[in-house]
Amino acid sequence: MTDQTLQSGSASGTAGPRAGWFGRLIYRSETARGYTLLTPALVFLGVAILVPFGILVVMSFWTAEGFGFDTTLTTHNYEQFFERPIYMALLSRTFGISGMVTIATVLLCYPMAYYVAFHVHRNKMFWLVLITLPFWTSYLLRVFAWKVVLGYEGVINSALLSVGLIEAPLEFLLYSKQAVIITLAHAWAAFAILPLYVSLEKIDKSLLEAATDLGDGPVRRFFRITLPLSLPGVISASLLVFIPTTGDYITPALLGGPDGAMIGNLIQKQFGPINNWPMGAALSIILMLCIAAISLIFIMLTLFVRKRIS
Amino acid sequence: MDITDQLGSMRAGDMSRRAFTKSLLSAGVGVAAVPLAVRKATAAPEDQATFFTWGGYDIPELFVPYNETHGELPNFSIFGGSEEALTKMRGGFVVDVSHPCNSGLPRWVQSGIFQRIDTGRLSNWGDVMPELVNLPGNEADGSSVWLAPFDWGQTSITYRTDMFEVEGEESWDMLWDKRYSGRLGSLASGGDAWWCGAIKAGVPMSEIHTDDAFDKIAAVMREQRPLIRTYTDDTTTLEQALSSGELVAAMTWNSSATLLQSEGVPVKFAKPKEGALTWVCGLMIHKDAPNLDRAYDVIDSLLSVESGKFMINDYGYGHSNSKSFEQFDAETLAGLGLSSNPADILEAGHFQVPQTQEWETKMNTLFEEIKSGF
Repeated sequence: MTDQTLQSGSASGTAGPRAGWFGRLIYRSETARGYTLLTPALVFLGVAILVPFGILVVMSFWTAEGFGFDTTLTTHNYEQFFERPIYMALLSRTFGISGMVTIATVLLCYPMAYYVAFHVHRNKMFWLVLITLPFWTSYLLRVFAWKVVLGYEGVINSALLSVGLIEAPLEFLLYSKQAVIITLAHAWAAFAILPLYVSLEKIDKSLLEAATDLGDGPVRRFFRITLPLSLPGVISASLLVFIPTTGDYITPALLGGPDGAMIGNLIQKQFGPINNWPMGAALSIILMLCIAAISLIFIMLTLFVRKRIS
Repeated sequence: MDITDQLGSMRAGDMSRRAFTKSLLSAGVGVAAVPLAVRKATAAPEDQATFFTWGGYDIPELFVPYNETHGELPNFSIFGGSEEALTKMRGGFVVDVSHPCNSGLPRWVQSGIFQRIDTGRLSNWGDVMPELVNLPGNEADGSSVWLAPFDWGQTSITYRTDMFEVEGEESWDMLWDKRYSGRLGSLASGGDAWWCGAIKAGVPMSEIHTDDAFDKIAAVMREQRPLIRTYTDDTTTLEQALSSGELVAAMTWNSSATLLQSEGVPVKFAKPKEGALTWVCGLMIHKDAPNLDRAYDVIDSLLSVESGKFMINDYGYGHSNSKSFEQFDAETLAGLGLSSNPADILEAGHFQVPQTQEWETKMNTLFEEIKSGF
């Protein structure tokens, strides 16, 4: 394999006698060619992600001191995380909220994606565009729209009041965990529908026919064929919703109230009014590690389940 | 590049496809660059000074003289609390003018990102009340200051007179009233709320830095937390909630009460028997202000009598220009809870005492924990 590559490499190398050293390198080595093509992406990754991430990691081992930083390396911030109960509580609340949002979003979006994949035969594109329609407005605007819907004098409360079902406006609708979950589930719906749709669309229809021929009813067929085959879509949809929502801070800041605050709000405050950047950095790193761990567990679990049911 | 008759030479077959594409490209770059050139020619918004301020100060009424001179308003950038603003500027955000308050003044000066204001360049400086200039940390020396005072006022309780039944005198206890649990609101910034907590706990402003004070204030803040429907730095949120009846009382500044009253909402800005929290805010110039001349114009415009009239009449705040008060009679001023002598108001309440950066970080960390329920 290696010999062959080398031979073909040298053959093409002689074909371009006028090429400079760089040209010759490119012709000779497939690896060099690959890296050259990757360069823009690698440079971007390095400058925009790896360097800031490195700074964040280093900073998380510093401590804040007045306006400046004490740059002696210490694990003080990480110890604080385990010593003071607020951090753990906010982190678990965050994962609770994001988990609820993920479940709600996938459950609500699955039927929609299913419908478009199996029951819409013409103008599929039009349907998909319709589904992404809420995304044409800004995220902030959607959050404020929910504030109007859920508010004290909002759409839901006024409707229920005028029908006479309630006597005083429901106060738990706004400034609560529920408000955050509802808003996030709506805001991230399109991120769940599209991967679900793609994986459902790919399912070979003849498998469904075969299942029916062999005596499976619609329900059994769904659980034995459709669901396992669409699991990749479910996994990617869940991760696409779960990961960004854990870091969200606008929605809880505007709709969460005192009980709906998430870890993102606290991280933002560490970099803002609290003015303790190292602690904020440490919290961000911990959040990232937790997300990585949870995602890993989730993927393993779904793979295991998939093996069991197929 | 040679000038050629492009279409003619193409017809004649002299021009290669590459040469023609090249001319097309240059034409395209030219067209795309046109908007840039036009922008430079007229007064572009980036030529205006940038004013980094609290919400509510980004309105044309406060910049009438500036607008007359420059034909446009300054650029605005908004913050919800002055700690957040300082952190952002220390992180590299360069503005021309910003808007801190007396309690932050020494720390803002220490941060080293501001320059002294040459008062000789401000046409309205002669009318500025001297008692507002001589703030701790301002180091006024007759010709320059760090902070040009602009507005002053109180942090107190705005409550619905038709929904909140006051027991006895108006007091800070109103925001700790269990009868209205879930219908009380508060400012989220520790710069206001923590100090009001100190008043409620009976801690003198001069002792707010002690450990004992921390424990006492934390205790009252924890007691209040379950009663609060929302903590927010957005005064509009509090005003709307008060106006709909979602909240019956909230910690606010003067402007919320004045604005709601002008809309006919039955609210009152309380005069708590323990005293309100009082403050003076002003303007500082960034040391790297890109538009220094216009920065002075922003400050001069804010110190003008026109702006003062608006501040007093529409927002209910005190203004630093003594001539602004001449437009109002004593009765109107009393109705707004103001006086043409700022000392009357500032000394009747609890005037904030500047603290160290360590104190601010410690206080904000603790207050965030309390707000989250710990």
